[in-house]
Amino acid sequence: FSLVILFSQGCFVYKNGATRATKKTPVKRKRVLTSSSSSLLDQEIICQPFYEAYRQTWSQVNAHIAELQQRSYARTVEHLVNFVAMAKPDELLPTAALLTGINQPDHLSQFDALTRRLHDQQAARVCVLLSRDCSTLKAAVEAMVFGLVEYDAGKIIGVGSGEEEEEHDVVERDHKRLRRSQCTLKQLRSWYENNFPSGHEREQKRRQLVVILPDFEGFSASVLQDFILILSAHSVAMPFVLILGVATAMSAVHGTLPYHVSSKIRLRVFQTQAAPTGLNEVLDKVLLSPRYAFHLSGKTFKFLTHIFLYYDFSVHGFIQGFKYCLMEHFSAGNAFSLCSDYGRALGRIKQLTHIDIECIRRLPSFRQYVEGINDCKRVISVLTDDEYLKKKLPQLLRDCHIHFILFRCALEFLTDLVGDLPHCPLGKLRRELYAHCLNKTLVTSPEFKECWQMLSFLARDEFVAKVKRSLARTEEFLVENVAPLELGQACIALLEPQLKTIYQALNDVFQASMTAKTDKTSPSSTYISQISSRQELKAQILQRSKDDKHRQEENIPTTEFARAVQKTLKLVETHLVQVYLRPLQDAPPIHELFVFDDIATVRRNIIGAPRAALHSALNNPHFYLQCKCCELRDQTHLVGTLPDLTVAYKLHLECGRMINLFDWLQAFQSVLNGGDNVTDDAALEQIDPRIQACFTRAVAELQFLGYIKTSKRKTDHVTRLTW
Amino acid sequence: MEAICGALEPLFPCREVTINTLGELIGDPREAYPSAIYLFGHSGTGKTALTRAFLKECTNRQNVRTAHLNAIECYTTKIMLEILLDSLELDKADPVKADNMLEFLEQLRRWHGVPEAHSQGFLIAVDNAERLRDMDANVLPVLLRLQQLTSLNLCVILLSQLPFEKFYNKTGLSEVISLHLAQYNKMETQRILGSDFVQVRSQLIKKLAKDNRQLGIFKEAMTEDFYNNYLNIFLSVFYKACRDVPELQLTARKCFSIYLEPVLDGTVEANDISRLWRHIAGPLRSALTQIYMRIEKPLEDTEGSASIEDQSVRRLAQSLELPYYAKYLLIAAFLASHNAANQDKRLFVKHHGKQRKRMQTVNAKAKTSDKMSTTLGPKSFSIDRLLAIFYAILEEKVGLTCNLLSQISTLVHLKLLGYVSGEQNIMDGSARLQCTVGLEFVLQIGKVVGFNVRQYLCDFM
Repeated sequence: FSLVILFSQGCFVYKNGATRATKKTPVKRKRVLTSSSSSLLDQEIICQPFYEAYRQTWSQVNAHIAELQQRSYARTVEHLVNFVAMAKPDELLPTAALLTGINQPDHLSQFDALTRRLHDQQAARVCVLLSRDCSTLKAAVEAMVFGLVEYDAGKIIGVGSGEEEEEHDVVERDHKRLRRSQCTLKQLRSWYENNFPSGHEREQKRRQLVVILPDFEGFSASVLQDFILILSAHSVAMPFVLILGVATAMSAVHGTLPYHVSSKIRLRVFQTQAAPTGLNEVLDKVLLSPRYAFHLSGKTFKFLTHIFLYYDFSVHGFIQGFKYCLMEHFSAGNAFSLCSDYGRALGRIKQLTHIDIECIRRLPSFRQYVEGINDCKRVISVLTDDEYLKKKLPQLLRDCHIHFILFRCALEFLTDLVGDLPHCPLGKLRRELYAHCLNKTLVTSPEFKECWQMLSFLARDEFVAKVKRSLARTEEFLVENVAPLELGQACIALLEPQLKTIYQALNDVFQASMTAKTDKTSPSSTYISQISSRQELKAQILQRSKDDKHRQEENIPTTEFARAVQKTLKLVETHLVQVYLRPLQDAPPIHELFVFDDIATVRRNIIGAPRAALHSALNNPHFYLQCKCCELRDQTHLVGTLPDLTVAYKLHLECGRMINLFDWLQAFQSVLNGGDNVTDDAALEQIDPRIQACFTRAVAELQFLGYIKTSKRKTDHVTRLTW
Repeated sequence: MEAICGALEPLFPCREVTINTLGELIGDPREAYPSAIYLFGHSGTGKTALTRAFLKECTNRQNVRTAHLNAIECYTTKIMLEILLDSLELDKADPVKADNMLEFLEQLRRWHGVPEAHSQGFLIAVDNAERLRDMDANVLPVLLRLQQLTSLNLCVILLSQLPFEKFYNKTGLSEVISLHLAQYNKMETQRILGSDFVQVRSQLIKKLAKDNRQLGIFKEAMTEDFYNNYLNIFLSVFYKACRDVPELQLTARKCFSIYLEPVLDGTVEANDISRLWRHIAGPLRSALTQIYMRIEKPLEDTEGSASIEDQSVRRLAQSLELPYYAKYLLIAAFLASHNAANQDKRLFVKHHGKQRKRMQTVNAKAKTSDKMSTTLGPKSFSIDRLLAIFYAILEEKVGLTCNLLSQISTLVHLKLLGYVSGEQNIMDGSARLQCTVGLEFVLQIGKVVGFNVRQYLCDFM
């Protein structure tokens, strides 16, 4: 197990640019292994119910997300395909600039989709050029020609070559495995003329040659300028179309291309969906969908979105993070296999062993459940009799499921209700509200009170429209998302009456008049009549203002309308918010099976902290090695049995900016000798060549790790680089 | 020769002199060609088009073998030689190969022995000839003396924007005949633009074919005078900014439809020039800012393209999506680039002690605008300093994680930061970076995250 920790704490840098599209977090690594080859995980594990449940959940979620992303790409891809199809061969090079936003690796899949579309339509040959392949003009041209000519031959055979039978033999003949150095434009031209002859009858469907540069910013300006000049020079003979993926803004394009280059192209700008919008969509439609039994706790949820918004804008990264949570959740034990559809979970109850049942009993919320039972016998049987608990489980699971679905419905209502208030005290997006509601009791929070106050200040029409809209939204949600679920009807049955009462209350608001309520106890207050003296008037006015103040303090609304509004809000509060939007600690028993809340593990394993990991490895190797010899009582201790590198590292921590190598060596020797106080100077001078070798090696390793470097200023000294 | 010149002159108005000179020099393959001709002039003066047309005429009428190549394409000498051999070849039997200049010359000399090559002329045109200077040292001298070396009737035409003096090197070059294509003056430009009148007219007639009424108005209004008037107005706005004829042609056609609109609607008479001018002045001015940018408007959503066109800094900073910490990193980088390192303590540490005022410092502080570091341009800084400032200006506590560090490289990748030195040794901390965005931009980003950048700049203290 220590190996796993070591693995996951190592630093895996995920560079944002498309220069390195490979992500090497442990998440990915595990996934690759689990999905592609089951050889790493034992057959034993794969057969476990928890693994099966995990696989089902993940494949469902993944398919859903993929579908969603496809749909959001579709529009842009459609536009681009049209653009490519419309592009006419001309002196000017048709160019599309796609503003992708800064996380470009995410968009590579979009370009893949575009490539597939174009190949399917037989409209164009496509070549994707990454900036890492194009450091020089020669490399760029060769990569482009190779990509265009060899596309269907090398990688995807099914797409292009199967259908073009009449051209097939030409391709064959032409195709003698091009060498890189042969990939010149001359070659490309002869290839193009061979394969797509420009006869008159075929003039219409001349293949476009599409060159995609997904990371425009990564290209060096001079290479790009020359490249565009070359393409435009050839665009009469070969219909090139250029597609640029621009991460920042159009000014980058104009900044990179001087006039004599930009006058050779015809630029059209396309916009893609912004990354945060994409994420919100994924969150709203997938992660917060009532369809899935698995939920993230408010904190974990916030943590993952935090990484997204504050660090990298990577939707892909977010999904991988979510997947990690999923794996972590399910791998906790077979009891967690119950975290799936209600029907499936019922089937799995039978498979539970004694250990799994114990696992359920140890859940914190289970204790509350037991305490809630007041029959002594039943308590004992719940705690000891597995069969009895198994009988009870379906009801508990059902409660949980219904709780989460209703939670989601109420969230829908609340989001619409408070989402567009000024300053958005509770946040305006569903995800913010979700995290809010799960984390703490909403009703007592000051933000909630602020919201309610703002709502009560709304004008009548506005208020009625708002609540009506929220109701309509919730009902729509019920019909669309909840009704198809297994427990959907039950939930709807629970929720419908509540919504009805709110609706009635709303009707009251609509009919309520604005006049102040007549206070029957003090008729004098309505009319200031029968005033005999100035003092009396003063006293009366004072009395009235006191009454008003009193009423305000008691929060008794003065008008019928205000009372009706208060009543409606109160209804919403008690019937929806208090009942359904309960924080996690008040959720029904065994909700832990459905909610992942182990944020510490996720944080430790998802976020690489290279400096911290290295420091702890060097300072306390026992943490990773788990050996007996390196156990330290205190982190600052130094013993001879530690690895040489650790000793050298710890000694170097005590030094200043410049380190004298000889002093360091002596200290090193004295540590290795186990602190025997060798007072003899001669012995100090005499250094064991073995120790010196160890020391030299440790120093070299420290230099390799970047902690020190040789100094030119002082002989026999090295410079410390970290603090 | 006369035939060639006669064919070309209507195609290239205002270039009669050059065409004649060219015709005299290389118009007849039976006479000896000059060894090399150097043709230079600004972009858009018709060098390439003229040469291309000339070579084509030569090939068609006199059976001269010609080659036209672009020096940019020739990133290795071999490519250039192969293109040359390919297009000069006498019989297209099998592809000839030439790995270096020697083999190339050998190949050409062999043709000399072929009887049919005796009366044959060879013309080679090289576009962007200034690139030849960066190629192998022997390329340019050999090209200039190719006639002498191969004893063929061969002429090399070099096309470039630079005067030939810029080609001189230590070893010296043989003489060439220089021809300068001067920029067109306003009259000439108008004549050239006006020469496509018939084409524009027929194009628009095709476009308006659906609407009979408009077609009638158009046919009546669209006279040579009307078009010339438009071009006159157009050039009065554009000629100062741009003399590139193709560019002007493109823009003129684009704006003509706007000019025509009120006439087609029937609101303005075709000969009411002053009202037409009032109508077109605004669009022309906005088109002036768009010149050379070549941004095409998508047909379907015009309001979307309007936002793209308006590329003010404010919009740019707001439209650029950056993660929260990346924004702070960018601000930190800007501060590091535009403040002296010895001021950091004063700016970013809470209790930085009192600064003693001395006459010297007071005088030094009395900054004039040319001393402002924001106007002097960015200075370089190390990653350590960047991170230190980042942590100082960020109120919350963030761990130094991979995600954060990778943001720096993302910013570099987006060209918002740039490496000044030590790109290779990032590991030992000696790499130095520079912030490449301007003050306006950073101020906007600061506004988005609620951070007052000015407050932390020495210049504004």
